[in-house]
Amino acid sequence: MSIIDLMSMAKPNLASRERILAKLRGRDLVNCFQCIKCTSGCTALKLLELKPHEIEKLVNLGFVDELSSSDIIWTCVTCLKCVQRCPQKASPYHVIIALRNLAVEREAKVPEEFMKAVSRVLETGLAETFQDVVSRKMETFNRKSLKLPMVYAPKESFQTVFLKALEER
Amino acid sequence: MPKIGVYVCHCGLNIAGVVDVEKATEYAKGLPDVVVAKHYTYMCSGPGQRMIQKDIRGNKLDRIVIATCSPRMHEETFRKAIAEAGLNPYLVEIVNLREHVSWPHAHEPQQATEKAKALIRMGVARVRLLESLEKHRVSVERSVLVVGGGIAGIQASLDLANAGFKVCLVEKAPSIGGRMAQLDKTFPTLDCSACILTPKMVDVGKHPNITLVTNGEVLDVKGFVGNYEVSVAKRPRFVDETRCVGCELCTQVCPVKVPDGFNEGMSQTRAISIYSSHAVPKVAIVDPRCCLRLKTKRKEVCGKCAQVCEAKAIDFEQQPETLQLKVGGIIIAVGSEVFDASQMPETGYRRFPNVISSIEFERISDTAGPTGGKILSPKSGQPPKSIVFVQCVGSRDRRFHEYCCRIGCMVSLKQAILAREKMGQGVSIYVCYNDVRSFGKGYEEFYRRARDLDINFVAGIPSDVRGSPDGSLYFDVFERGTNKLLEMHAGLVVLANGLVPNSDLSRINELFHASRSADGFLLEAHPKLRPLESSTAGIFLAGACQGPKDIPDTVAQASGAAAKAIDLLLSGEIELEPLKAIVDNDLCSGCRVCESLCPFVAIEMKRDGEALRAEVIEVMCQGCGLCSAACPTGAVRIQQYESKQVLAQVRTACVGAMAGGG
Repeated sequence: MSIIDLMSMAKPNLASRERILAKLRGRDLVNCFQCIKCTSGCTALKLLELKPHEIEKLVNLGFVDELSSSDIIWTCVTCLKCVQRCPQKASPYHVIIALRNLAVEREAKVPEEFMKAVSRVLETGLAETFQDVVSRKMETFNRKSLKLPMVYAPKESFQTVFLKALEER
Repeated sequence: MPKIGVYVCHCGLNIAGVVDVEKATEYAKGLPDVVVAKHYTYMCSGPGQRMIQKDIRGNKLDRIVIATCSPRMHEETFRKAIAEAGLNPYLVEIVNLREHVSWPHAHEPQQATEKAKALIRMGVARVRLLESLEKHRVSVERSVLVVGGGIAGIQASLDLANAGFKVCLVEKAPSIGGRMAQLDKTFPTLDCSACILTPKMVDVGKHPNITLVTNGEVLDVKGFVGNYEVSVAKRPRFVDETRCVGCELCTQVCPVKVPDGFNEGMSQTRAISIYSSHAVPKVAIVDPRCCLRLKTKRKEVCGKCAQVCEAKAIDFEQQPETLQLKVGGIIIAVGSEVFDASQMPETGYRRFPNVISSIEFERISDTAGPTGGKILSPKSGQPPKSIVFVQCVGSRDRRFHEYCCRIGCMVSLKQAILAREKMGQGVSIYVCYNDVRSFGKGYEEFYRRARDLDINFVAGIPSDVRGSPDGSLYFDVFERGTNKLLEMHAGLVVLANGLVPNSDLSRINELFHASRSADGFLLEAHPKLRPLESSTAGIFLAGACQGPKDIPDTVAQASGAAAKAIDLLLSGEIELEPLKAIVDNDLCSGCRVCESLCPFVAIEMKRDGEALRAEVIEVMCQGCGLCSAACPTGAVRIQQYESKQVLAQVRTACVGAMAGGG
């Protein structure tokens, strides 16, 4: 017996669901009883229409492939409110991260900004590059003019470890 | 030579679905001294029992082995059955093929059958060494201690007292009534809580068979079923109960204001006060932590209450009293507590004054409460334009309490209906719910009544409640039915706090040896078949101390527990299991190891000429076996579990394992 999403004609893929469950290293996802507390408080809901409770249910039903190739999983701003407040410890955040990892494994389309951030970390060791600051008197400062210590690019060993960690996931 | 009968039960497919019962029976036939071996679908059924009885008579069997479920389930059933057939009831050995074999080894039927055979072989080896035993009869006290004076304790006490038993009801608060006394109306009939409770409270106060101890505490419990010795402390009220007439003149003159606990701290009372308007006994009490005289311990300080009291009831020198009671049974009815929502910061409780708990709403709604029954926002003192009820606070939540509180939904429905009835159409009322569980008699109809009254149900729980500086509250809720994010504004948010185990339960657990379940409440002896008893004989459970409950269920359980206590005590004597320790006087060296170990204080040292000898007080002994295991000379034995009987089993197990190539 099986179900079909009549809106998109999608069929559940239970093998993909198992992969997500394996990535979560626990089965708390299946405890979600749809109280919708996560979506009520989701930071990414109002602008980007992320509905964590829907993601929980879709993964539970096995509609994982559609999610891992969709844009919506990349809208989570990782504020972790859902982790903290979920009464069933089903934590949509962890599910979303697992879906993102699955998307990368499957070489699905990953938003450009995420890829940029990864290469930035690889090259500079920092998630954001340094920017000049402007004071109230409209003077521009940078690290050198503020006499802050120089930050050096990471060593090669860091890059090796970082790349390895990315591959292991 | 003994003549042994072996009976293997299928337990439907519970055992036979895994264990090959025919093979096991065939195997049993080949064991020494086994005369009969049979298998049957349900050995515990009438035909099953009659089959065993017929064989006992026909084949002159004198030892029986029954391979079936756990002895905790049916040992007593089979003992009765073989006693009816004329055999001593202690000549039966139960082999547990269900909990020990078929259930844990469901996926390995072959090995399960081998294990079943081995256990039957061990049972046969043991049963031949069993001895006939007789039950002891002891007399019991025809009186009961009831701990806790909420509706559960009140109902149990009245039932027992009306049946002619003497009852001592101990309550820690200054008045009986408990949580129910704090409620305004009760679901699903909207009876006024005080109207149905107060007459019962008065009955308790007046009943000739009930000794009421308020402001009390159980200090110590000794003894055993039917013969408990209890000491109860009565803390001083500093008011003579026999003189005080409850006129409250003292309260009017007392200069010290204190938060009123009965009103959940939402109003103030004085350091000398009467607990509530319906209090039983209606006697004033002095709070020694706040009273100026008692704090300073100086005779010239204050004393206004004593000057004004016409009955001369105030006694600053009153001392604690201790009562010694002898009771046959004990009913624990200490109730539960309300979940403290400040542990859940997202609810805004204690951060925003207009977020209140369900019990606080009850006090606001009650005409005897701090607002005289008007529903007002605590911050502004004005009636709110909209009220939102939020469900499942602290319950169905794995961070706090996993269980369903069983009352939250109905409490919110009731409070929403009360708010609508009191405030008319001028207020919008919303209930943010998860699932509405209206399971009881008349409850679903009550839910429909709420919808009839224009109460809006929002399927979704807010993530957090936020407050504006003017005291109004707002929050977002994603609604399941509309698939839309709603922004809600409320003048008052009422939380449906769950019920949590009473903080006194760890003390209760120590005093009465009443165990607790994983959720923290007291554990019943069997979840389905013995819900009113604790695992300790003679100790019964009533009300929310055993698990969250509404009033109808609490009253039902309290009456049930009272009936159980009557069942125990009515005949004036009870039978005790003979599985006790016995001491061989010739072997006892008087080393006192057993005396120091016995958890039931059942061993006394007696002087026998020059030497000391241990002696077992039979009624106290629970047959746990600690003494027997520790005795260096082997002088202490446990009947039915003597070394020779147990070792025969062990030996047979080993021999069989070696023969099987182990």
